[in-house]
Amino acid sequence: MAVAGIPILENLYPATMDMWPIEAKEFNRIWPFYENLKQGRFTTTKCKNCGHVAYPPRVICPNCYSENLEYIDLPKKGKVIVFSEEVRGVPLGFESPLIHAVVDLGVDPVRRLLTRIVNCPAGVLKRGDEVQLSVFEIPAIPVEKGKAGTIMAERVFFAFEPVKK
Amino acid sequence: MARKAVILAGGQCKWGVREAHLVDLFQEAAKICLDDIPALKPKNIDGLIVASSYAGRCSFQVNTAPVVAERCGLKPTSICTRVDVLCAGGSTGIILAKGLVESGMADIIMVAGGEKLYTPQKWEVFYSELASVDHDWDGAQGMGLPPPFFALTAQEHMIHYGTKKEDLASVSVANYNYASTNPVAQMQKALTLEEAMNAPTVVPPLTLYDCCPITDGAAACIITTDEIAKKFTDRPLVYIRGTAQVCLNSVSANFPGTHLADWKHTKIAGEKAYSSAKVTPNDIKVAQTHDCFSISEVIEVEEFGFCKKGEGGQFCGSKQIEIGGKVPVNTDGGLLACGHPFGATGIRQGIEIMKQLQGRARHQVKDADIGLTHNLSGANAEHTVLIYGRTPVK
Repeated sequence: MAVAGIPILENLYPATMDMWPIEAKEFNRIWPFYENLKQGRFTTTKCKNCGHVAYPPRVICPNCYSENLEYIDLPKKGKVIVFSEEVRGVPLGFESPLIHAVVDLGVDPVRRLLTRIVNCPAGVLKRGDEVQLSVFEIPAIPVEKGKAGTIMAERVFFAFEPVKK
Repeated sequence: MARKAVILAGGQCKWGVREAHLVDLFQEAAKICLDDIPALKPKNIDGLIVASSYAGRCSFQVNTAPVVAERCGLKPTSICTRVDVLCAGGSTGIILAKGLVESGMADIIMVAGGEKLYTPQKWEVFYSELASVDHDWDGAQGMGLPPPFFALTAQEHMIHYGTKKEDLASVSVANYNYASTNPVAQMQKALTLEEAMNAPTVVPPLTLYDCCPITDGAAACIITTDEIAKKFTDRPLVYIRGTAQVCLNSVSANFPGTHLADWKHTKIAGEKAYSSAKVTPNDIKVAQTHDCFSISEVIEVEEFGFCKKGEGGQFCGSKQIEIGGKVPVNTDGGLLACGHPFGATGIRQGIEIMKQLQGRARHQVKDADIGLTHNLSGANAEHTVLIYGRTPVK
């Protein structure tokens, strides 16, 4: 695939233009979050020393600076507190309608999670509606693995979607 | 005697969609800045702080400070560096310069901010905004461009405090009208309430004039001590009395308020700046608050104590932000109408307050002696406040 104006970038992956996280283990110490997401689990880190639950996941506890952390499951359903809908002028990479909501998952620290709402037409969502986790595939990226060559690293990401009534 | 920091001079180049390179804009701003203080020459300047957040993405240039120093004919010997705090970069440069000149580590510092955001294909700056918020968490949720976030903020202000769309529109009208005679503003157009109310929708309840534009531009100012300044000017001195910079979160899920219209971090930043400047909200005669969106200014006048919490809509809607009102705000047009080249904005605000306190502003506030500037940056992740005055803190 050619890049207009920059022929030397043909078939090369520019990480600096990637709208999604670089999730691969070689580049990200919170890779278990993404591995859990692939299993349909929405997780974050809890400190085994002081009990503090942080979101997003960390490699140290922001409260006591312990590295002794474990992944715990967060609720996958919540209620819409407030939402916005963008129909025209949606930024590159996202489809119209681009819907955002502040969602209450019922436990700290995700009582006001700001997330995208997918699988929902414009004009349908209401405040108080129940939504649930939606995990979807995003483009795989090439990762150089030395003598093993380049492998394609599969990726997923998440949003929330209305619970079918 | 203790060294006290002052803003000696400043200049802003034409802001808008500019047919120019980033380093061209910095040169224009540096020249206009020194034209403001003819006795000061480039050789007198011993420090340079550059504020630019998108140099790396939109101009493929990191380590920007030496590039700007060279092109502007500066040869710094005390400090030559760049700061990146997005929308608060310019204000941050002024805060750092204050510390450096008051400590004696530097004498005369140019703080220069600028962005060249429009690229040959416009998609790139919008796409690159994914880097303005927490990339992996808020960016990947489509929060790179800020209208949805501030639309949610406006909705929550309406829900909790009864603010009306007309109140938001009155901010746009005031700021556009301030800028209508400002030759360096991006938008130089008088605006009526009717036009603002009937403008095209961006993200409900925000419409076109509720949102600041994307802007190319630069601005520069000179920070030195009062004793040094007196050698170069007979104008009234404008002291940097107090500062604060507060960051309580980055990812939106950790927003510190009870809802998106409760800006706890803004309030803390204001209180700390008031305390360090030894003033109260009642002392502020003119303010330049961060009106990236009309709703921002509504909330800022509350959190800075110009009116009660929840009454910002009424305060702005009843012309208290206009000349003759309780606290005229964004008297040069603000971000909404001047535009918002991120790193340059805090410098633009500082220049306007300097001119107000020297009695030479375009829309002059009578007897202005204390002024405030404010920036928010990221997805409402950080707040920066400076308080300027005609006299130093005793």
